[in-house]
Amino acid sequence: MSYLATWIHSTAAQALGWTLVHFVWEGAVLALVLAAGLWLFRPRSARWRYALACLALAAMPVAFAVTLAVTLSRQPAPVPMPPGPIAPLAVSIPVSAAPADTFTLAQVLDRLAWLVPFWFAGVAFFYARGMAGWMAVERLRRRGVCAVPPGWQARLDELAARMRLTRPVALLESCLTDTPVLIGYLRPVVLLPLGCLTGLSAGQVECILLHELAHIRRHDYVVNLLQGGIEGLLFYHPAVWWVSRVVRAERENCCDDAVVEIMGDARAYAATLAVLEERRSLAPQAALAATGGSLIERIRRLTAEPRRAHASAAPAVSAGIMLVLFAAALAAWPAKAPGQHRPHATLQVADAAMQVAAPKPQDGRLALRAAIEAPYREWLSPDAQEPQAQPLTDAERRAGEKALREELATPYRKWLNEDAAYIITDEERAAFVRLQTDEERERFIESFWLQRDPTPGTVENEFKEEYYRRIAYANEHFAAGIPGWKTDRGRIYITYGPPDEIEDHPAGGGGRRSAEKSGGETPTYPYQVWRYRYIKGVGANVVIEFVDPTGSGEFRMTLDPSEKAALALVTPPRTYYFASREGPAVLVVVPGRHGTAGQAGAIGAANQGLIALDREIANTKIELDALLKDYAPEHPSVRRAQEQLQRLEEGRHAMVVEDGTAGPVAPVIVVVSLEESADGFHVFGEVTTKGRKIVQTFEEPVQGSPGRQSVAKTIPLAAGPYHVTVVVKNLATGAAQKSELDFTVD
Amino acid sequence: MSAKANDLPRPTDAELEILTVLWSLGPSTVRSVHETITRRKPAQYTTVLKTLQIMAEKGLVRRDEKQRAHIYSASRPREWTQRQLAGDLLQRAFGGSAASLMLGALSSQRASRKELAELRRFLEEYEKGTP
Repeated sequence: MSYLATWIHSTAAQALGWTLVHFVWEGAVLALVLAAGLWLFRPRSARWRYALACLALAAMPVAFAVTLAVTLSRQPAPVPMPPGPIAPLAVSIPVSAAPADTFTLAQVLDRLAWLVPFWFAGVAFFYARGMAGWMAVERLRRRGVCAVPPGWQARLDELAARMRLTRPVALLESCLTDTPVLIGYLRPVVLLPLGCLTGLSAGQVECILLHELAHIRRHDYVVNLLQGGIEGLLFYHPAVWWVSRVVRAERENCCDDAVVEIMGDARAYAATLAVLEERRSLAPQAALAATGGSLIERIRRLTAEPRRAHASAAPAVSAGIMLVLFAAALAAWPAKAPGQHRPHATLQVADAAMQVAAPKPQDGRLALRAAIEAPYREWLSPDAQEPQAQPLTDAERRAGEKALREELATPYRKWLNEDAAYIITDEERAAFVRLQTDEERERFIESFWLQRDPTPGTVENEFKEEYYRRIAYANEHFAAGIPGWKTDRGRIYITYGPPDEIEDHPAGGGGRRSAEKSGGETPTYPYQVWRYRYIKGVGANVVIEFVDPTGSGEFRMTLDPSEKAALALVTPPRTYYFASREGPAVLVVVPGRHGTAGQAGAIGAANQGLIALDREIANTKIELDALLKDYAPEHPSVRRAQEQLQRLEEGRHAMVVEDGTAGPVAPVIVVVSLEESADGFHVFGEVTTKGRKIVQTFEEPVQGSPGRQSVAKTIPLAAGPYHVTVVVKNLATGAAQKSELDFTVD
Repeated sequence: MSAKANDLPRPTDAELEILTVLWSLGPSTVRSVHETITRRKPAQYTTVLKTLQIMAEKGLVRRDEKQRAHIYSASRPREWTQRQLAGDLLQRAFGGSAASLMLGALSSQRASRKELAELRRFLEEYEKGTP
């Protein structure tokens, strides 16, 4: 006791006591600022409101720490220890709320520090409780769980791939939870209550899984832990609990929005949540009991018709109170003098401490209601985006809109450059980049998939499903340092689907060379050979080889089978040259390759080059757009971007793919790849030396059929510079187009 | 009968896992129980068999010996065990704080009767809206 009494009179304890009291008004101000902010930004998206609430919550411990530091620096030297009897007497005072006017200022000042031990005890209690809760949750990973049917785990992986999650997520059934939950951050597990998979439709289960995956993508588990830490530290202030509740509510709203963004049907999703809640109400209370939140509000929010935000008195009142409080606090803070404030503050602390069990401040609840009811997402209410009559300055609004644009631009850019990168056409890409609002983009994406739906009448879009399945498969099977969809195998798999035949040589080993390659043994790296019987637009019996020269698991597409030979792999990297040409054909020259596999490789390389080019063009366009928003068209960086864009777009029409490996007499493949057209074509080609001496000519008709068509010719050439001229004649219109390229065989 | 129900011992963690599998799959052979468990973690067939035999002795599962491959089923519905485990001290004391650490599609608080009625109304409307 005497030790405690001594400590109580130390500078630190005094400062902490003061800080605890000061935080009463600081916390209130922060909460009111948040309430006002939520009211001002009520037409904003849940993401915005969530960020705002998180900011307010994070500001609370910061305010506490700053106050402590300031108070410590201002604290006078410790008072000499008072005579013994005073201490036990003082214990009862702050909490017993005796009439304040019987104390002198000095007495109150002295006794403020007695709050500190109680605060410590509270913090210890909340942290111990949190720790135990965490252990209980971790136990749920292993206790009373059961593996789900394999199909569901695969489905979850697919959805995770669609969400671009890199961490593997486990899916288990649990008999200990009564609602689907997500546990863990580094090794996330989704637990479904038993019977959930059989009791709900597949679409409904997917909605729920997407919701949990959205939590993972948003790192909510970590934020939630931090939130628990703040709650425990400042447990005595109801405002902290209220702000924390707002964070939780908005977090769920954010995830709801993410699900609806992907699934598209807000009402079906809301129905899923309702069904889930109904199922839960039938079961007995599960092992895990409960805290806060309201489902009905979420469902109203998801399904609400666009509503004009109605004027409500509550937020205005809160804002008024906030201003008064803030002004009073500012006035009181530096002086720290007027004796009236202090006993009042102490009483408030005692009051607050009693409220910890049920922290529901009246004004807070009103503000929360107003905050939850007011906003509806942009996709639900287009008119909510119209300029509001808020007293926002122009600068603030512009800053807000810019931030919002940047935030929203990301998922669409991702869609353009990742999701649809391999299948979107130039026209579509150009159209998409020009779109102004997210609604237009949403509609574009919807019709993008609809156009490709092989059975437009049905709900299912087989094409889209297959496409995303391929992405998921690629991510699952081909990832190696880089995501699976970015690897060569992933690209081919996504573009052309599963091959008809895979020849796998995981150990590489001594590949027996065929007779025409002089026979004998050549040590090789691990490699795979994929055979497609037919690829539309490319040709029949296409063979593509992938080699893993680094042993990292990332197989790279080779242009020629001989490249898998370890010796041949010491080659300079491929280079691409772009030259300007107009018209429907793409001319590709690949020196140093021969055979069917080589042709397929050349076509593949051409496509690869085009895809890379397309992606670069799209990125440059986005960059240019962004620049134009900030700078005038004559600004040097805008001009540079425009020039680059022009160069890239010119390169789209013709390109040379050159590979450094070639012998003294190198076979050269000339590929003429025609853009999609149902017309028949006739292709004439002529390869000459620099001195215009004809080396070889060729002539080939191309049958009219939809899809990309290619003509490939293999020509043996000695080292030296060459010139190739190709004329493509459209048999239907009679229009002819000439393409010319210089290339070098060395 | 109810006295007998109360006599049933609280399942151990290993037994609870097998019970969970049986609730999930319905009556099953040892082989399918074992297969489901090994999808999550390595486990010996004999261990599963032995545990099931012990559980049958305790009365936690029933064994149907009519076929050559014995069929096991949980003797109590899962609600029973949930009630049993809710009595677990750790869960009882820290369930609240545990619940706030998990993220779920639903809030950890159950809907009130009034809210449930409203939810049901919503669902009825929804079903009417989508024939």
